[in-house]
Amino acid sequence: MPVRRLPEDRGGDLELARLIRSEKEVEGRYEEVWTLVDEDALEQWPAGPGAVVGLPAPRIDGYAKARGEARYTADVRLPGMLHAAVLRSPHARARLTRLDLAAAAAAPGVLAVVGPGEVEGVDGDAPFEGWPVAAVAARTEGEARAALRRATPEWEELEPLLDPDEAVRRGSLVAPSRTYERGDYDRGLAEADAVVEAAYTTQTLNHNPLETHVCVCEWRGDSLDVHVSTQGIWGIRSELAEALGLAPDRVRVLCEYMGGGFGAKEGIGTYLLLAAELARRTGRPVRCALSRREENVVSGNRNATRQHVTAAARADGTLTALGGEFTCSLGWRGWLPPTAGPMQLLYACENVRTAEHGAKLNLPPMAAFRAPGFVEGTWSLECVLDKLAAELGIDPLELRRLNHAETDAMDGRPFSSKQLLECYRRAEPHWRRRDEVRARSDEVWKHGMGLASQIWFGGGGPPSYAWVRLGSDGRANVVTAMQDIGTGTRTAMAQIAAEELGLTLDDVEVQVGDSARGPYATISGGSSTLPSMGPAVRSAAADAARQVLELAAQRFERAEGTLRLDGGRIVCSDGESWSLAEITSLLDDGQILGKGARGPNPAGMRILTFGIQLAEVAVDVGTGEVRVEKVVAIHDVGRVINPLGARSQVEGGIIQALGHTFSEARLDDPRTGVVLTKTLDAYKVPTIADVPEIVCELVDLPDPQLTNLGSKGLGEPPIVPTAAAIANAIRDATGADVTSLPITREEVLRALREAQERERVGALPA
Amino acid sequence: MELFRPSSLAEAASALGDGGRALAGGTELVPLLRDGLVKAERLVELRRVIPSGVEGTAIGAGTTLAELEANEEIPDVLREASRLAASPQLRNMGTIGGNLLQATRCWYWRLHFPCRLHGGDICHAREGQHREHAIFANDYCASAHPSDLAAALLALDATVETSRAAYPLAGLYRVPDEHDRNVVDLRPDEVITRIHYERPERSVYLKAMDRRRWAFALVGVAAARVGDETRIALAGAAPIPWRLDSPDALAEATPLPGTAFKLELARTLVERALARLG
Amino acid sequence: MPELRVNGNAYSFEAKVGRSLAQVLRDDLGLTGTKVACGEGHCGACTVQLDGVPVLSCITLVHTVEGDVTTIEGLREHPLVDAFVREDALQCGFCTPGQIVSAAALVAAHPEPTRDEIRHGMAGNLCRCGAYPRIEEAISSWRG
Repeated sequence: MPVRRLPEDRGGDLELARLIRSEKEVEGRYEEVWTLVDEDALEQWPAGPGAVVGLPAPRIDGYAKARGEARYTADVRLPGMLHAAVLRSPHARARLTRLDLAAAAAAPGVLAVVGPGEVEGVDGDAPFEGWPVAAVAARTEGEARAALRRATPEWEELEPLLDPDEAVRRGSLVAPSRTYERGDYDRGLAEADAVVEAAYTTQTLNHNPLETHVCVCEWRGDSLDVHVSTQGIWGIRSELAEALGLAPDRVRVLCEYMGGGFGAKEGIGTYLLLAAELARRTGRPVRCALSRREENVVSGNRNATRQHVTAAARADGTLTALGGEFTCSLGWRGWLPPTAGPMQLLYACENVRTAEHGAKLNLPPMAAFRAPGFVEGTWSLECVLDKLAAELGIDPLELRRLNHAETDAMDGRPFSSKQLLECYRRAEPHWRRRDEVRARSDEVWKHGMGLASQIWFGGGGPPSYAWVRLGSDGRANVVTAMQDIGTGTRTAMAQIAAEELGLTLDDVEVQVGDSARGPYATISGGSSTLPSMGPAVRSAAADAARQVLELAAQRFERAEGTLRLDGGRIVCSDGESWSLAEITSLLDDGQILGKGARGPNPAGMRILTFGIQLAEVAVDVGTGEVRVEKVVAIHDVGRVINPLGARSQVEGGIIQALGHTFSEARLDDPRTGVVLTKTLDAYKVPTIADVPEIVCELVDLPDPQLTNLGSKGLGEPPIVPTAAAIANAIRDATGADVTSLPITREEVLRALREAQERERVGALPA
Repeated sequence: MELFRPSSLAEAASALGDGGRALAGGTELVPLLRDGLVKAERLVELRRVIPSGVEGTAIGAGTTLAELEANEEIPDVLREASRLAASPQLRNMGTIGGNLLQATRCWYWRLHFPCRLHGGDICHAREGQHREHAIFANDYCASAHPSDLAAALLALDATVETSRAAYPLAGLYRVPDEHDRNVVDLRPDEVITRIHYERPERSVYLKAMDRRRWAFALVGVAAARVGDETRIALAGAAPIPWRLDSPDALAEATPLPGTAFKLELARTLVERALARLG
Repeated sequence: MPELRVNGNAYSFEAKVGRSLAQVLRDDLGLTGTKVACGEGHCGACTVQLDGVPVLSCITLVHTVEGDVTTIEGLREHPLVDAFVREDALQCGFCTPGQIVSAAALVAAHPEPTRDEIRHGMAGNLCRCGAYPRIEEAISSWRG
């Protein structure tokens, strides 16, 4: 066995056995976990491209997807499979007074019915629209839905609580309010030469992965097989096992391909419990797929916010105080996202005071959505900071640089790495074009530029495991029970294994998506997949490589230390080399099995991702139309494994942000609390015609403290600063101060009017 | 449900008179059937019995929006309205006849709220979410008519030819009221066969939407000049396609709190449209 | 029994009037390359060609189909498939078959499509992952 010890500065403890405590973070939520240290203390590869890692690689599953061969959960068809449909409350708050389940059970094609109280979370007291009341399984989906109509439910409607401020006043909260203070906030305000206060709002947003939530449950004796479109195979396994009172290894979770999630597919959801129960009752596989309309009501959302923020600085630009009160409309359940996070973390401000409230309302529950909290909090912070810059007469980029945090602004911890100043430096040539951009303005179209900084988590953490098999054909097979949400994780893992084994990408297969056929792997969320899984894959590949070299040393009578793998060959320091097949062909049907684990995070350090985005806009002052012409995104996420996939992540994040900024909003009826924008004509995600030029630059320097790769996650950072950069560009172009998302025509026209009014009043003689 | 494929217009009209529902491109009817907003035992497929294509100033009702978009002979206002309508696939499927008869996108109506169009006694939009709703004739029902093409054709003073008669396009529509909650005045057995338009010297269609493509009009402004006369019509502004007698008629709008911006949009777009006409 | 011509093959199927082309393709013929993401004609994931013209199979009643249907399974050897993979024009991949079906019709009509033609012609195929810039690039350079 190799020596599996870590140096102390990377969390190792030479006295301790292999089990240690480490910090794990997902979506900004930290927890201490026990983790099995099972990692070779591999040195990181040098910065810059290797033979495979760091070079653009088309996705290894690209053809399966493009040819329509990839089998998504929505495509799973099992013999004898039945279809479930869920009866849901059409009201935001209501009590079921009548339900004819017998009629539903007697409907054509129906094989089983689950009624109120028969599955946890399924009953007749509906606290939000879409609350599940009953379900049926039938031969076809059409028959299942028709059967539900026969149940003719009747409801007593109750007054829903919909206003978040009212909820906070009444103490209707999902979680206790959170307050934070450092320094002396009031003194900070008193010391300031300029103080800017402003109110901002953000809207409720729906994830809208194109594959809706879907599962197929099949019992095999006492064990349950679950095909499910999920971001977290292992979370489904443990949650479902607990809910059903099964040993976790009796639940097998499969997800070969999934059609997006963006945070909505992290937990089990009642639909899955209902499908499992209907499958148990019928003894047949049961499929349950949410319709698009169900998806846009019950599957989670980015919560709306109301924010009041204050920024204060001395004349030289030093921030003296930052304050904010953030009210989140969380719906009936959920958790309080770190909306104050950017205010607490982004700048070196000594005096910060924040309060966050999570209103509990009769609305569908929130769920994590791509950088939850930080998207909303960055919007207000980076907008108010620009107003402050204007007040002080300081260049917005300079103001950000002046207040750069050298260490963690909350507790003084060093950063594992931080290249934000480098991002700012790279932003300069783009920012210098500002006058040129403004000069393009005419009577109708006003041009301008804005920028905003980005901070977010993304370090990942243990535990995560991978295996690498090498067969007699010399091909490597990476096995890990993770899922690929669409970010290209499969491809990145193949690149890492190929790099370590000296193989080409074509020599590597990656098998994911089956909890019974691979070791534990982390969730696809919180920008944690690559920084969690990548090091485990490298460590497994290194273990396999070591075994190959051990065999080669014996076979070719060389000292083990003189051999390495390179370009598909075993290379000796004496100059001789042999093809890898010369060793692997000796295996016959035998296999070399390397195993690896994600090591702990560096102790006592803060691991974050950083960046800046610049937006160029044109605003039609007559109609309030805003055209984003260009977005420049410069991010620091440590080492980049696949520049091709990374660029796609950046572009995708920005495009989703453009939807958040301009056209997307879940609208609820203010009287009844019913969601009105359930369909994709009313809930408007961006089309290809809405996309600006996007320039993507990644600093691409490995984080020297973080794992054997030095890579952080990139799924979320690009969505964080876009809206604020655009709002700042609109102000730059027109003087109009947009304060609510989405930035609709009416919001732009309102802000333009307000700006004109300001100018008129300002022009009056004193 | 059954599908009936008549072999003549008369057969189609008779089947429709017997309670059948007309099916052409299906982009509107099929979703409405699924949602239970339209009920039908029998679908009458019109494709084989109604004319399609453009001949001079006559447009077959079965002409798709994609065909109109590609047709260089038709006036700019109609071509642009077709080009900016819906999505490419919907334009490939949907016909001009069906487009004129499409139902409102009002979410309350689409989601079966017991609104006035559904026979109820309140307009939920007036008190609720209505940023996409009407600024004219919105007292009884605040829904907005979504057809870009209808506005274009109103500006072109189009005539509708049906299996029964021919009349000005404006006559096809009526503002719903307590006596009759329909927005279309078409007999059950009446089929639109052709649309005739007047050829303008110049014409233009301007459309404000939430996305650059594939969105219904917040406001669509169609304008055409024939001789001394300039005609203006609006999409997305009233429960029916809305003819504006003059730009000054915008002063008569009755916007709701959430649709005041639409009036601003309309003012700017009307001004720009007229400037474009020269 | 009604017949359907798909990718050059003839199939007979049994279905009630009201059943969509997408349902028959996916559930009866096992051609699951065609995806259904909204089921009401708003997103384009279900796009197939009918006599070469992109239509929405989720709102096309199967009994009304008379022409030749082409699905992604019939376009697997199209150069666009290579272009999409090469340019990374897909992420989760769920919208991709519909994108390629639409794009194949677009390049058949405009072998050298302009950026504006692509943006106009592809606006009915929503991609929630935001692969649009790569899709535009793949279509621009579809011939390799």
